[in-house]
Amino acid sequence: MDDPAAIQNSRAGDREAFRHLVERYQREAVGHAVAILGNREDALDAVQEAFIDAFQALDRFDLSRRFYPWFYTILRNCCYKLAASRKKRETSSIDKLEILAPAPGVTSEEMLLLERALLELSPQERELLTLKHLDGLSYEELAERLDVPQGTVMSRLYHARKHLR
Amino acid sequence: MKKEVTCENVCMAAMARADSAQTAALPPAEIEAHLARCAHCRREMAQLEAVSTLLDAQERSLHSENLWAEIENRLPAPAVAREKLPVSHPLILLGLSLVAYRLVELFPDRSPGWWFKLVPLLLAVAAFVYLRENPFKINAELRLEGE
Repeated sequence: MDDPAAIQNSRAGDREAFRHLVERYQREAVGHAVAILGNREDALDAVQEAFIDAFQALDRFDLSRRFYPWFYTILRNCCYKLAASRKKRETSSIDKLEILAPAPGVTSEEMLLLERALLELSPQERELLTLKHLDGLSYEELAERLDVPQGTVMSRLYHARKHLR
Repeated sequence: MKKEVTCENVCMAAMARADSAQTAALPPAEIEAHLARCAHCRREMAQLEAVSTLLDAQERSLHSENLWAEIENRLPAPAVAREKLPVSHPLILLGLSLVAYRLVELFPDRSPGWWFKLVPLLLAVAAFVYLRENPFKINAELRLEGE
């Protein structure tokens, strides 16, 4: 079942159709939520919340657009709402990778250092850097995804990289 | 407006250029000229490019949880979509009002008064206001080929 058909059927109350959407996008959504929130448990909560909100808002979805960018807006709202209610974790206690995957040629200590450095950033900076470097989004796509002008993307990316340095 | 050439603006524009971004930043010649004479910016650029290269080599961690069972339990009952009556369309309402006006007008002895003469004017104003909202989503920018 393709996305427009799944969405149309979900609008009519077909839960199986919505299941297609959840199973198609949950992996990507959890990856994005982990990058914003910095931990898996909160990310799973945010993704669940986002899919429930999306189900209720499907009537407002424009079928000529792609589902995931629309859903991403809902997801990041859920993530930032959750982030505001959670205390920042002590990054030195983090002992496993949640944002990054182990990479060949890089030791696990180096990967952990990079993960901890990412976790020291603000959720907004982490979101931007991971969308840019892990997903390879262009400035234009970032501007559209985050609903900000390209000049803002340029400036935020510069400051995020500077903080990570 | 021309952007001021400061170290920060130069590094920002140079990084955007390195990312192949099409942003209106500083002209390449100004970036090059500044980098050629500013050791601080050259160091800064080298560090930022190293961060960028390091991040480009990473991948997202894969999470394979299936969340459907939890989500399904929390989904609200489907709302039954209310079928809109076609009569609720504003243009149909306007049409019906005009027909009703005409029917009343056919009986001059039952005319409700002078204000009744204003009804067509009010309906015309209502139609104008409604059509100004572009309800049929007509794109005024479209041009025929060769026009």
